[in-house]
Amino acid sequence: MMESDRRRDSRTWDWDSSQCRAQLDEVFFRPHDYIQTGSLEHKEFWSFFDRFQRFKGKRDMSLSKGSDEVKDGNQESKSRKKASVDLGLPKDYDARYRINVSVCTRDVEERLGVSERRRQTSSGPGKEEVATCRLTLLHFLDFCQRQSFCKLAKLRREQKSLPIFQYRDRIVELVRTHPVVVVAGDTGCGKSTQVPQYLLSSGFSHIACTQPRRIACISLAKRVSFESLNQYGSKVGYQIRFETTRTPATKLLFLTEGLLLRQIQQDAELGQYQVLIVDEVHERHLHCDFLLGVLRSLLRLRQDLRLVLMSATINIKLFSAYFDEAPVLQVPGRLFPIQVIYQPIPPEEQPSRSEKLDPRPYLRVLQGIDQRYPIEERGDLLLFLSGVAEISTIQDACQTYATHTRRWIILPLHSTLSLAQQDKVFDIAPPGVRKCIISTNIAETSVTIDGVRFVVDSGKVKEMSFDPKAKMQRLQEFWISRASSEQRKGRAGRTGPGVCYRLYAESDYEAFAPYPVPEIHRVALDSLVLQMKSMGLGDPRSFVFIDPPPAASIQTALTYLKEQGALDGHAELTSIGRLLSQLPVDVVIGKMLVLGSVFSLVEPVLTVAAALSVQSPYLRSAQHNPDCATARQPLYSNQGDPFTLLNTFNTWVQVKAERGGGSRKWCRRRGIEEQRLYEMVNLRRQFKELLKSHGLLAAEQGATCWRDRQQRRQRLGERKKLHQLKRDHDLQEGNRRKVLRLEEGEEGVGSSGSEGEEEGRERRGKDGAGQSVDIQEVKFKLRHNVTELQEAAGASRDLSSRQQALLKLVLCRGLYPQLALPDEHNATRKDSEQIFHTRNKQGVVIHPTSVFASDPEVLHVPEQEPRETGPEKGESSRHQLLAFVTLLETNKPYVTNCARVPALQALLLVASSVDTNADCTRVVVDGWLELTLSDAEAALRSISSALTLRDDWERLLQAQLRNSATGPAAPAVSHKDLGKLSEGLVRFLLYTEAASTLLNKVSYGLRRLGGLESQNLYVGPQQVPGLPDAPALNPLFPGIKAEPHPVKGGLRVTGFFTYNCLSDSKDMYSECLRTFWSCPHCDLYMPLTPLERMHHEATCRPAGELQPKEEPEDGKAASSSSSSSSLTRVYHCDVCDKDLTLTSTEILKHKRQHL
Amino acid sequence: MEFGSTEGTPRGLFTCELCELTTPFTYYGQKPPNTRAIVLLEECYVMKDPFCPEKEKFLVLGSTCSLCHKTVCVGADCSLFYTKRFCLRCVREHLDQFPPPIQAELMKKKPTGKTPGLASS
Repeated sequence: MMESDRRRDSRTWDWDSSQCRAQLDEVFFRPHDYIQTGSLEHKEFWSFFDRFQRFKGKRDMSLSKGSDEVKDGNQESKSRKKASVDLGLPKDYDARYRINVSVCTRDVEERLGVSERRRQTSSGPGKEEVATCRLTLLHFLDFCQRQSFCKLAKLRREQKSLPIFQYRDRIVELVRTHPVVVVAGDTGCGKSTQVPQYLLSSGFSHIACTQPRRIACISLAKRVSFESLNQYGSKVGYQIRFETTRTPATKLLFLTEGLLLRQIQQDAELGQYQVLIVDEVHERHLHCDFLLGVLRSLLRLRQDLRLVLMSATINIKLFSAYFDEAPVLQVPGRLFPIQVIYQPIPPEEQPSRSEKLDPRPYLRVLQGIDQRYPIEERGDLLLFLSGVAEISTIQDACQTYATHTRRWIILPLHSTLSLAQQDKVFDIAPPGVRKCIISTNIAETSVTIDGVRFVVDSGKVKEMSFDPKAKMQRLQEFWISRASSEQRKGRAGRTGPGVCYRLYAESDYEAFAPYPVPEIHRVALDSLVLQMKSMGLGDPRSFVFIDPPPAASIQTALTYLKEQGALDGHAELTSIGRLLSQLPVDVVIGKMLVLGSVFSLVEPVLTVAAALSVQSPYLRSAQHNPDCATARQPLYSNQGDPFTLLNTFNTWVQVKAERGGGSRKWCRRRGIEEQRLYEMVNLRRQFKELLKSHGLLAAEQGATCWRDRQQRRQRLGERKKLHQLKRDHDLQEGNRRKVLRLEEGEEGVGSSGSEGEEEGRERRGKDGAGQSVDIQEVKFKLRHNVTELQEAAGASRDLSSRQQALLKLVLCRGLYPQLALPDEHNATRKDSEQIFHTRNKQGVVIHPTSVFASDPEVLHVPEQEPRETGPEKGESSRHQLLAFVTLLETNKPYVTNCARVPALQALLLVASSVDTNADCTRVVVDGWLELTLSDAEAALRSISSALTLRDDWERLLQAQLRNSATGPAAPAVSHKDLGKLSEGLVRFLLYTEAASTLLNKVSYGLRRLGGLESQNLYVGPQQVPGLPDAPALNPLFPGIKAEPHPVKGGLRVTGFFTYNCLSDSKDMYSECLRTFWSCPHCDLYMPLTPLERMHHEATCRPAGELQPKEEPEDGKAASSSSSSSSLTRVYHCDVCDKDLTLTSTEILKHKRQHL
Repeated sequence: MEFGSTEGTPRGLFTCELCELTTPFTYYGQKPPNTRAIVLLEECYVMKDPFCPEKEKFLVLGSTCSLCHKTVCVGADCSLFYTKRFCLRCVREHLDQFPPPIQAELMKKKPTGKTPGLASS
């Protein structure tokens, strides 16, 4: 009976049935077994099973045919083994004997009697099936072992074949015996991946390896952890601005140069590291040069520290000499031979300065390749041009050729492309077609593309330089250096022998500079000097750089930082300067953050500061796409670009909260690079944390968000899922290169293609990976709490006009002195010909990406001006200035990221130099802008309120900063005071105080002073016509002594305000002239001189409001006042014949008694 | 302690005496840790499989030749397992005792140029 049962079983057994397989799963793949049901290996096992059975079937067939032969052979070998040792091998061959693993599964356990005898259920795997499965499992395990071992062996083989491998012991030995070692090796020698591993495996620990680029940190950490067999551990990690894989177990860390500098800023001795490797030192980035300087002095403090410099074989002596003749180990590179062909551009094809590039020389190279090299010989072309405009010119011409021949796919490569477009250069061309990548110098070092066989080098590069005179960045075209030229050539020989076409003569090459100009010689050093100050490195002018920057450059930076209030008169850090040095952003952006944190504007300011610190999310290529333009329209703000960015970010957060991954599509519609928004959200958070850690932002009541346990558990579960998604994504990564379509390049030319292309890309992604995970979205959700963000975005989304005015003021004060004045004739010019003037540069234009480029009218002074109040032409109450983030000269000087601000109000509130005549009807700001107010009363009122407001603002700011220095405790500034101040500022910006007449109705003229005028602006010290009234000498504001200005003449009333110093005063008596005035706060009504009035206003506050004397300026206050209050002084009244200690207002009142 | 469990503390360096492949091993024996059901049929040098995310997956690096007692890796150019581990040199010496499929395999392989050369250097 059992027999028949069994037979029926085997007849019903079906290997392809999932039920049958599941029964075997219970035998072999139980939860505690080596392979578990449901795991990846489990799936692989069953597909292996199918293959294995098929293979066995075939082999059995062929074996049965030739079985006689085998037997014969067997006998033969038996007869031959007489003399040798008997190995005791089984006589009959079985592949199973070749497997060195055995598995204990349920069937074995049962056989061993661990559990009860096999249950004879009606169906279930029979003995045979179990045996088959078991044998297959053994083969599968063996197969897996072989597979992994082959990987390991291949890895080791590749490591051995690298040129640097022979120097392994030498390198380790040198590092053991020398504090500094220079390893110089060219492309492909393997130094970046191997040297850290050599040190790691020979017992060094706590190794840091710096890279100039974030992307290199990530890819190197990945590669090195794979090579050091720690792919899934954290022995090797990376740390970049927002991401780290570092754990306490990390022994080797890749990080950016900037980040290591920040770490030194925190811990001057850098105790956490034993070995520092500085890679790519020959690239001479600003941070790298500075880092070397810092490390040079650190080595004196830390005898145990080891420093390894890694460089291409460029200018090695420089590095060795800088570190006391450190030993140099030179390693040959691994490049295939490259043929160099000089093809100088004939004179008739040389572009003149203004013209577009002539594409003929470039097309000739493409044609030449088509003629000379058979299409079966693969190999792509990399073409180096200087800039984006050049790329698009040549791209157009090449595309026409490519469409015609169908043998090329033309791909541009530069940093303003979307990341998806940039990524295409790594995809593979279909057979018979070559890629032609047209790139800026980004492909020289930052981006490495395999498979390039031909290089075309234009010999040109556009480089940023800084013009300290105009405070302007300049992007100019230069000839490259010989070093760059060689680097470009090398790109052709990475994977095989190559050809390099140089579109210049050999004599040109000989005349090139040997090396590129190091960055430290080209850029503004503001941030560097600030950082040096905060690291206590003494006078930046005497710091020993490897290649010192020009002294003038450092001086410019010092002056600038003083102007910005980051350094005091002795070039020491101020409290705001100390804070700014901690923020990894430009000084102007940092200022914005600090200022914004004082008011309740933190959320919008955080967003704006982050937005202004990353590349614009708006893709240039989509600008001319009408659909994108329409979709973008609602995001635009005619207040200025920072506001547009703020809208964009807030709306995006909203979309993310509602639709999650749907934001990708939302961005694509609008031609927005979502990656930039992700960067913004990360940066924003970093800023927030920095402000919090400096006590400028109260620690949040964030806990309340998750007080609900249920909610918390939900969030935890969600996070777990997200982590899994991220892991899966990481596993799938690599080997995902796609094959390009021939039409790829055609859609991309110029503009509108991006949407269609990316759509296509996504589709392909889906085909490939089953489901496409938006990894950025996953990372975003892991890092940020969308609900919290949404609240923050909501808070800054619908700003009231008052908040907007205040935000603008914060931006303006942050960006100051980066202000531009619209040219007076702009109203009569075409949109494209609007020009502006900054203090140091005339005739700048608005960058085409700015909202004002398409809508310049909002900057014009309206025509219809009330004639009766503004008698003089050009007078208006609506003059505006542009506050801008950068001034960059390419073919024209452009200002980017602009916001418009009301001129008079903004200048009086932020300018660092305000000079007036006697009745304050003429105001000169920073020596270049002249404001003329015909209404003397309004003029005085404006200036007087501005003085008071600025005094209050400064005091609150200082109090806040002092508080942040002592640590985040209770808020130093009361909400009430803050409220009063912002109220006052808003009122000043939008309305006047008492008289209910609008300040923006104050009409004034605004113009730029001519060169001659600004030279003869001041009366000068010698012309002071005797000191006026005694009260004028009295300190008007606490801690600041009013005294004659040593250069300008007149009276310096505050740090920024000098009264009556302008040389063209219409009359000599205005300053003595008293006009009747009533104080809005007290009952004072009497005739006062302008100064007396300002004085009174500065000291008289409504009851209950902060009184200036409560907060004496630290340090200075003590010296300026010997008596109880800095405001009082000894006054001798002739009538009473008494010495009285009174404030000047009290003195006036006292005098009045005697009248 | 935590350290060891996540990263796998190396017990020493395994080096194949034939091809010089060198890599740290974390276990030597027949019962790789964390693998209840697995038994190896020889004493092996084992490490955690570095190409697999799960930490209980192991990789056999090599073992000792049952004849000459050289330490050899499991690479097909250095050794084979046929109920016992044999380095390829010993296999060649006693080729007649091995079954025909293995003989055929080795004939095809010929004396590999690389392996002995590296070993002698």
